[in-house]
Amino acid sequence: MNQIENDPGPPSPHRIHLVGTGGQGLLLAARLLTDFHLQRGRRVLCSQLHGMAQRGGAVQTTVMIDCGSSPALRAGSADFVLGLEPVETARALPYISSATIVFMNTVPIIPYVLAQQQVRGRKEAKYPDVRQLEECIRSVTPDLFLLDATELARRAGAVMALNMVMLGCLFGTGLLSCAPEEFLETMVKNAPPKLAEINRKAFSGGVEFGSKVVLVGNR
Amino acid sequence: MSASGTHEVLQSSPGAPACLLGNVAIVRGALEAGVQFVSCYPGTPGSEVGDTFARIAGDTGIFFEYSVNEKIAVEIAFAASLTRARSLCSMKHLGLNYAGDPVSTIPYVGVEGGMVIVSAGDPSAITSPNEQDQRHFSSFLYYPVFDPATPEDALEMTRFAFPFSEETRLPVLMRPTTRVCHIRGMVTLGALPETRNEIRFDRNPSRHVPIPVNARRMRMEVIDRMKLAETLLADSKFYPRSGNGPHGIIASGVAHAYIHQVIQDLELQDRVSLLQIGAYPVPEKILTGFLATVESVLVAEELTPFVEDRVTLAAYRNRMTLPINGKATGHFPLAFEYTPELVEDAVRKHVHLEKRKPATVSVPDLPPRPPVLCPGCPHRTTFYLARKVFGKKTVYPNDIGCYTLGYGTPLESCDVLLCMGSSISQASGIARTTGERTVAYIGDSTFFHSGLPALANAVRYDDNVTVFILDNLVTAMTGFQPSFSASDRLSIENTVRGLGVKDVYTVNQFDIEETREALNKAKAGSGLNVVICNAPCEVNRARLGTGAKRPPLTIDQERCNACSLCVRVLGCPAIHVEDERFLIDEDLCNGCGLCAHVCNQDAIK
Repeated sequence: MNQIENDPGPPSPHRIHLVGTGGQGLLLAARLLTDFHLQRGRRVLCSQLHGMAQRGGAVQTTVMIDCGSSPALRAGSADFVLGLEPVETARALPYISSATIVFMNTVPIIPYVLAQQQVRGRKEAKYPDVRQLEECIRSVTPDLFLLDATELARRAGAVMALNMVMLGCLFGTGLLSCAPEEFLETMVKNAPPKLAEINRKAFSGGVEFGSKVVLVGNR
Repeated sequence: MSASGTHEVLQSSPGAPACLLGNVAIVRGALEAGVQFVSCYPGTPGSEVGDTFARIAGDTGIFFEYSVNEKIAVEIAFAASLTRARSLCSMKHLGLNYAGDPVSTIPYVGVEGGMVIVSAGDPSAITSPNEQDQRHFSSFLYYPVFDPATPEDALEMTRFAFPFSEETRLPVLMRPTTRVCHIRGMVTLGALPETRNEIRFDRNPSRHVPIPVNARRMRMEVIDRMKLAETLLADSKFYPRSGNGPHGIIASGVAHAYIHQVIQDLELQDRVSLLQIGAYPVPEKILTGFLATVESVLVAEELTPFVEDRVTLAAYRNRMTLPINGKATGHFPLAFEYTPELVEDAVRKHVHLEKRKPATVSVPDLPPRPPVLCPGCPHRTTFYLARKVFGKKTVYPNDIGCYTLGYGTPLESCDVLLCMGSSISQASGIARTTGERTVAYIGDSTFFHSGLPALANAVRYDDNVTVFILDNLVTAMTGFQPSFSASDRLSIENTVRGLGVKDVYTVNQFDIEETREALNKAKAGSGLNVVICNAPCEVNRARLGTGAKRPPLTIDQERCNACSLCVRVLGCPAIHVEDERFLIDEDLCNGCGLCAHVCNQDAIK
């Protein structure tokens, strides 16, 4: 029998940018991703924008796996963007390049300022057309995938499990160096039993979606 | 919490890699140094330091308190240090100003047990009314200051700081900034100690009492102690150097983390030499030793040109004429946080690389999401009712807390603001010069923090002021720390009456008619009066699961005439407009009922 080279080399670095609004469970999702990779011996850096997110603000957090020392994402350098809300996904455009894979939840959270602007005579102050946002992002990367992740979470048992659906999409691509099942196992082990089942369903829904996407981008 | 139920900061496997939030890494460093006493006042971006100690204090036997303000926190931690306890005291950058009085004299007296003051900086003033550079405390008040670039630095520097503080008898300032505080990064854990300092108070008034005759002696001692600190730092590992290229770069804080990355990304390892400045006072020989080996130098640091000025001085004193690039030469801006791109541009300019060619993407106009009072927030009800009663012409000084969000449209309840506790004094000043009744808003924590002396002042001069104390029973803005008003031992009403305020109205602002009646009396009153609004924070109530959840309201589309009043006056995020129909988002609505009260079509139920 001959020995042939079969060493996969060091696992590749990943920059995963998660965006949405306060209360969508972004920080928890980032924390799960961080802990999971940490347990696998990876070097992880996770940046969070805290502050007044609880009061309805935008939230961004980045998980960087084996990426070096910078705590902030450079322009155009995200490998993945998990957008839990359409406008917030579009707001992440500076971090998106032709090599970025973007999953975007299509369900808007309407910024309250729009109602304020409308009743003060700015009738045109409307939530942007999601299709227009989609076009803007698609003009940068072909690998943009839209899904009603909120509905998938609701079917799993709770809208709150939206973050799990999005993590499922990420793992479903098969581009991380771990199989979705490994992550699921860790996640379920650390959640209360009642939530574990909802999380499992939500995550699996995301995995199913993520595993079917066809990537055409330049990477 | 990990699966085993202990907090991650208490994991006991020395040498193991862990990933800790910068603020939690500071806690770990203090634990590894055997910290015994911790006090804090919360404030973004440093709150997690105290909050983490609050969670583990019971398991570790550490004395912990959320103090009433930063001045008390510093004094009480220093007193603990005088009994040889290793003590830590945590706050945000502005808190250090409030504590300035004790802070300025502690180096004179000197510590007994090691003492570390953590004061988190907020470049770009993301959650503060200013950005300031606490590193200057090293030069004007004799504080050794540590300036971590990463959570790993934060852990190691804090661990180092306690014995170092004991050896120099100087209190030590730990100054992380937002991008260190709120980054989870890799750290290497050390061992948790078996022993702690023995608690003992050695009476020695000439050593511990800075009356002038002693203070003048201490003045000379503190200079010597600072020299000792500089000598010890010169041999420390907080000035690491890498590379041997001709282009020097000196960097501190998170700017160092960005520089490090840029050098890797642009593969400049052979062209640059990098020196990190991790602690102050910077020993001059560290600077001159570096400058002697490079042809030019770029200084990268956020906020003021603190290191840059020292580099310039060191070069001048040693007759070195190499170019010094930094803020003075326009390589870096004078204000605000740096970004990876900004740092890369400066490095390219410094090493004469061609300019970066940024790819551009077109981003559509996107609606902003500024912070807003939550649905059902009792502050909204207070602001709405007070404006109804006191009117548009009244001046409304406001204070620091969630209620600052009364600023701007539509609540228009924050006309002036300065700092913690300033609302009452600002109301006094405005009432005296204008002769008009002025209305101050202050929350429960801020009232005890620094509103008390201002209220005593207003009582003394019987100012024509109505003070609203918004007692929601929690310090909500900084992460739901327990409020002093929630303690059985403190009562805002008794406190206010004890100070001599005769007209005190305590109301639950959701009892709208009763509240309106009280406000009318307050408006008609003469001199100072106080309204205490005691409806609890709704988010905290939901967190704690206290009391029943109120059912959401709906707008009857038959009755609604789209007058838009509810949106125009309340700014509740649960009400939105869709195709000119007014709708309540039932997931967001908290059922407080204020919109139903406002609606004159009786359309909201």
